[in-house]
Amino acid sequence: MITFGLPKGRNLGPARASLAAAGLNLEGLDSSRLRQRFPDQNVLGTPVEVLLLKDWDLPLYVEHGIVDCAIVGSDVLEETQPDVFRPLQLKDGRSRLSLIAETPELPKRSGQLRAATRYPAWAARLLAARNLHVEVIHLTSSIELGPLLDLTDVAVDIVQTGGTLRAHDLHEIEVLATVAPTFVVNRASFHAHRRRLSGLLGALEETETGDD
Amino acid sequence: MKISAGLPTGVSAALFDSARRRRRLEARLSTLLEERGFAEVLLPILDYFEPYRPLLTGRRLEQLYRFVDRDGQLLVLRGDFTPMLARLLAPHLDELELPLRLYYRGDVVRHQPLRPGRMREYSQLGAELLGGDEAEADERMLTLFFDLLLEARGEAPVSGDGEEHTLRVVLGVAGALDEALLAAAGEREASDLALRIASRDRTAARRAGLADVVERGYPADLSVLGGAGEAVSELLGLRDRLSSAYRDAGVEIEVDLAEFAAAALDPRIGVGDGRRGYYDGLMFAAYAPGTALALGVGGRYDKVFRSLSGDCSAVGFSFGLDLLLELGAAEARS
Repeated sequence: MITFGLPKGRNLGPARASLAAAGLNLEGLDSSRLRQRFPDQNVLGTPVEVLLLKDWDLPLYVEHGIVDCAIVGSDVLEETQPDVFRPLQLKDGRSRLSLIAETPELPKRSGQLRAATRYPAWAARLLAARNLHVEVIHLTSSIELGPLLDLTDVAVDIVQTGGTLRAHDLHEIEVLATVAPTFVVNRASFHAHRRRLSGLLGALEETETGDD
Repeated sequence: MKISAGLPTGVSAALFDSARRRRRLEARLSTLLEERGFAEVLLPILDYFEPYRPLLTGRRLEQLYRFVDRDGQLLVLRGDFTPMLARLLAPHLDELELPLRLYYRGDVVRHQPLRPGRMREYSQLGAELLGGDEAEADERMLTLFFDLLLEARGEAPVSGDGEEHTLRVVLGVAGALDEALLAAAGEREASDLALRIASRDRTAARRAGLADVVERGYPADLSVLGGAGEAVSELLGLRDRLSSAYRDAGVEIEVDLAEFAAAALDPRIGVGDGRRGYYDGLMFAAYAPGTALALGVGGRYDKVFRSLSGDCSAVGFSFGLDLLLELGAAEARS
């Protein structure tokens, strides 16, 4: 049996669709139940157990080997840096991590810029790579409120359609990174189920366009 | 005054039954090692920092707990047995009768991020074979590695298709992908590509023409590895010989160059400063289902002696004793 961790919420749909297209049909998955089993009539040729978990918790479950593999946002992986394999990024459900401000250019400031983000470690790395050494303020939601309410000069946050930015008259100064649902595997599970997972990953590669 | 029973982060005490279980496992493994002609060495917990500068690089050096002693000497707590043993033996190689078979057990301390199953102080048991014919020594030490694993696991209930109970040992050669990485990505990007392949990134591997390496562990055409092709060809032969001997015992042996992609030797790639940085030939690691980390790792490290101005072939390995205990307990439960 192979245990999958799938994200609750908006990422569940794209993850299920990608797996179904690759031959792992999770027909009847009940998003209100934590743990469900599916028979072995699938591309893996073994029964599958699915655990529905929060995106931010999934890497830890994979590292511990509680789940063999999972689909997790690359934003969560970049922030938490788990010791897991990352064989594939999915095409569906991609977004971008952007530098956002009230002005089209980076605000001028005599001191250090302040940036609001839910990804303090990742944002600091990305901005430092651009020679922007900022004071990072960790917010857990409504990141755009940082610059709007003058808590910070800029925000570093996920942009999907840009609707939120337009609604608040904010500007996307620069795209810092692409965010993609990522297939991750526990190290030991990769070796234990290598042949089976290789079949699924190959099918996923064929169904996804794969390229960034 | 109320006394806290707490311990520093990353440290634990083995009390009562857990202490008994660990000592029993140590005794079983030590008996096997003694039967194979290995002699135990007892190494100090404290050492000078200076000898480790040329032996350890990058992350491993940073992980050492170091402090200034009252007489002003910069000291370290033991973070690894192998380099300590090498630095003690290197000045006396002329006086030693080779081959030399040694084993050790004890705790090491490393300041490292806490991960599942990874403490800052943990117990290791390992063995080293110095001198002798290299190919013969590699095979002998791999055989010992498998036998110790099986001794720790006990009777394995191999059930169903066996896959879920099989121990997996992956073999590789340090730096085997260096030439291919440089050819595919150039000097500036080779390091990043090495890390991506080590993470089994299929897209990056496919673009680099190394899809085989992440899918089945090594390229169908070994000539893409340049000078390392011959060593990998010999490794495939070693895998076949050992596989036929250990398959019935539930040990699956694979050649997986991706596993050791970041253990580069070419300074232009520059990712060889990681935890396996001192290996320069055969490398191996063992995994069991349900464990978060490799149960044991090992390899050939002749370059450690070369950097100590000694000339001695050396191959060895170490196991995490707590992980081996988990392995035995998991098999007993199943």
